[in-house]
Amino acid sequence: MAEHSYEFILALGVLSPLVSFWLLVFFGPRLGKPLAGWTGVFLGMGVPLACATYVLVGWLDAVETGEAAALTASAFRWHWANIGSVPVTIGVKLDSLTVAMYFMVTFIAFWIFFFSVGYMAGHSDEVDHQSKYHRFFAYLSLFGFSMLGLVVSSSLLFLFIFWELVGLCSYLLIGFYFDRQYASRAAMKAFITNRVGDFGFLIGLMLVFLHLGTLDLDEAARKFAQQYAAGTGLFASTYTLFGWSLATIMGVGLFCGAMGKSAQFPLHVWLPDAMAGPTPVSALIHAATMVAAGVYLVARVFRLMTPDALMFIATIGCLTLFLMALIAIVQTDIKKCLAYSTLSQLGYMIFGMGCGAWIAALFHLITHAFFKAMLFLGSGQVIEGCHHEQDMRKMGGLIRKMPVTGFTFLIGVLAIAGFGIPGTHFGLGGFFSKDEILAVAYARAFEWNEFKKHEVHKTSPTHSGGHALFEPGAPATGGVAMATAPRVHEVEAGVDFLLVSDPVPAAKPPRHGEFGKAAIFKNTKPLPNWMFYLALVTAYVTPFYMMRCWWMTFMGRPRDEHVHHHAHESALMYIPLLVLAAGTFVSSYFLFRPLIADAAVAATAAPMVQATDGTADTEAIHAAHHWLMYGVGGAFVVGFFFALVIYARGLAIAGAIKRTFWPVHALLEHKYFFDEVYDFLWVNGCLVVAKISRFIDTWFVDLVFNILASATERLAAFSGLILDQHGVDGIVNGVADTSLMVSDVVRGPQTGRIRNYVLFAAGVAAILLITMIVWYAAPSMATATPSGGSI
Amino acid sequence: MAIGLTHYLVIAAVLFAGGLFTMMTKRNAIGILIGVELVLNSANVNLVAFDRYLGPGRIDGQITAIFVIVLAAAEAALAVGICINVYKNLATVDVDRAAQLQG
Repeated sequence: MAEHSYEFILALGVLSPLVSFWLLVFFGPRLGKPLAGWTGVFLGMGVPLACATYVLVGWLDAVETGEAAALTASAFRWHWANIGSVPVTIGVKLDSLTVAMYFMVTFIAFWIFFFSVGYMAGHSDEVDHQSKYHRFFAYLSLFGFSMLGLVVSSSLLFLFIFWELVGLCSYLLIGFYFDRQYASRAAMKAFITNRVGDFGFLIGLMLVFLHLGTLDLDEAARKFAQQYAAGTGLFASTYTLFGWSLATIMGVGLFCGAMGKSAQFPLHVWLPDAMAGPTPVSALIHAATMVAAGVYLVARVFRLMTPDALMFIATIGCLTLFLMALIAIVQTDIKKCLAYSTLSQLGYMIFGMGCGAWIAALFHLITHAFFKAMLFLGSGQVIEGCHHEQDMRKMGGLIRKMPVTGFTFLIGVLAIAGFGIPGTHFGLGGFFSKDEILAVAYARAFEWNEFKKHEVHKTSPTHSGGHALFEPGAPATGGVAMATAPRVHEVEAGVDFLLVSDPVPAAKPPRHGEFGKAAIFKNTKPLPNWMFYLALVTAYVTPFYMMRCWWMTFMGRPRDEHVHHHAHESALMYIPLLVLAAGTFVSSYFLFRPLIADAAVAATAAPMVQATDGTADTEAIHAAHHWLMYGVGGAFVVGFFFALVIYARGLAIAGAIKRTFWPVHALLEHKYFFDEVYDFLWVNGCLVVAKISRFIDTWFVDLVFNILASATERLAAFSGLILDQHGVDGIVNGVADTSLMVSDVVRGPQTGRIRNYVLFAAGVAAILLITMIVWYAAPSMATATPSGGSI
Repeated sequence: MAIGLTHYLVIAAVLFAGGLFTMMTKRNAIGILIGVELVLNSANVNLVAFDRYLGPGRIDGQITAIFVIVLAAAEAALAVGICINVYKNLATVDVDRAAQLQG
């Protein structure tokens, strides 16, 4: 294995979609209808998928032989420029999380690109009476470039650049049918809402830049740890805002970016509207990959987080997961229903991050990506098959018309609902990942004191067995030891935090009811109980609305003959469904969780986090976990049961419930009136401010200008009429008139006759002579005649 | 009666008056030229007379008179040339008729 070859292969995979984008932009129209699409599929995502697969295979090997940590440490960095004294480097963040995310993104994106070819074949690609077919795949390729760039970025600056690029792609793709007003508005809404979050991100970034003096992720984490230990830099500041220290503000600021992109509670409003985009876009960007970027960001900057920041993150995540799940219950649009489910699941991931369930949250991210992409593609197939009908109330009984779609959709529903048998290895994605988050949340809420007591003293530098990925005790633990050593020092120095780590030997598939690596903080409050309860209740709500969605669409009697009659499915579109269904199974068991667990060791090595193996579980905790295990694991049974009770026989019961609880229904139907409130506060607020500004402008600013203008006008009139016409012009005209008058007079004697001139000359000479004689000569002649006579 | 300066001056004045009168009254260009010659020669008479009576032993006045004669010759040659051209163009030497350049 040549040095740095993984980085270069990953970078090649990043650049390939850019080439595809370039080709499609400039030569797209010439490639024509299916060819432009296939270019996008194979060059835009096929090559990256090949790169990802190659790297994944090699990387698994490297992890097993223990070379991975060394490869991570020696990953290529190119010093690009300096901003002031802060170096900016370009490089690939090479660790298990990157490899896992990269593979997940390329795999899902490839099949969604593939699906898009089938989808666009049946959809209008005309916008403004011009084919935009190539443009669709160009945007998808650009998205591929941006998303993969985001995943591999080793520097926060480049992460931010790619972050904005995926936001741009999201905007372009939501507004793909920009001649439809709702689409262009949704695109703007998404873009603007994301800007709000990115503003916070930028603040966080600036704090990193200013106080940590670096933008490299690893370097920033190292400096953060140093400053924490020494009490310098960020930690020397006594500045607080809402009781948050500067370090917390930095963490919260970075999280604000995630709030925008991952559509968390106050900024969630854009995601449901983003469903205006073509369905493959919803599947790829607004369900599987881009919206998960927020969670990825939090995972990447986890080492810069403080307990307060994480508590904020947990609160936001908790509110999102609960509130959005309730809205999903009343949605009738199949895509909107999935959108709210996505919001709720993103809430789970963010909540998990906030609890410190780093592994569980990312595991949930990846399992969710697979089944949610599949669900969205399924919904795309349904919408396509039913002639663009999205209202589930008009569907029903479609399973006979589109069996592949129906069954793969069911797999997705089971996965998201957390289907499995509690306490065993049997279950689908959400069963393990969501329940792991809940287990950690439970530990944070109720067992925190127990852990604190037991774990702190057990930690020692030699203790690292629980982290070994495939072979406990293998050289792979070198990285762990490195990460552990400084922490021990901090334990002795009275460190504030500790970490409950993965008790599951990662080589095995996860067993239900165990919980993963969790950061637990010594000197902070435990997680409020209500957060755990909300998350728990939502675990019951999720299967309910998903089963409702599936049943309304595929089961029961057809409610609209027209729709049902036309329903069909096409192979080009259901092949990706089958592949992603398989991916859902695989991602639930193998590959991803061990990889993430491997990355967790280094990626959560925050100065405030104390790693242990969590074997200190007390009897009481075990007992508690027992009911938790069944309570959470069995949630899907309860949810499915109620969904079937209500919807199995059509919509009558649901209608009755709706009428009975109409205020609740109205509240949910209107999404807690968030849009209205935002409209009132921000849109109207802006308008009011605009009107006030206009008033000030008209009556103050304009007034001054009007006075100035009229003064100028008067001055101009004065200077024009009085000064210019009578003054300046008067002088000039006067001179002219005078000249004319004088010339009239003077012209008289000028006869042109030479005789006259001679006469004048002679006459004048005579007059002069006589004058001289009279004035000079005469007196002298009178007195000096004698002398004159002597001549 | 001894001939004195006054006599010369009187003759010169008569000549001058005659020349001037000729210039004023003649419409013929040649006539005017003759008048000019009379005026110039009256000046010559004065010059020579003043030289003889006021600066005896000096020849300034006589030299100036020769200058005037030379100038008069040159002037006559030029003026006659002009007269010939005027005649060629207008078939007359009447100066009143030669008024084409008058504005």
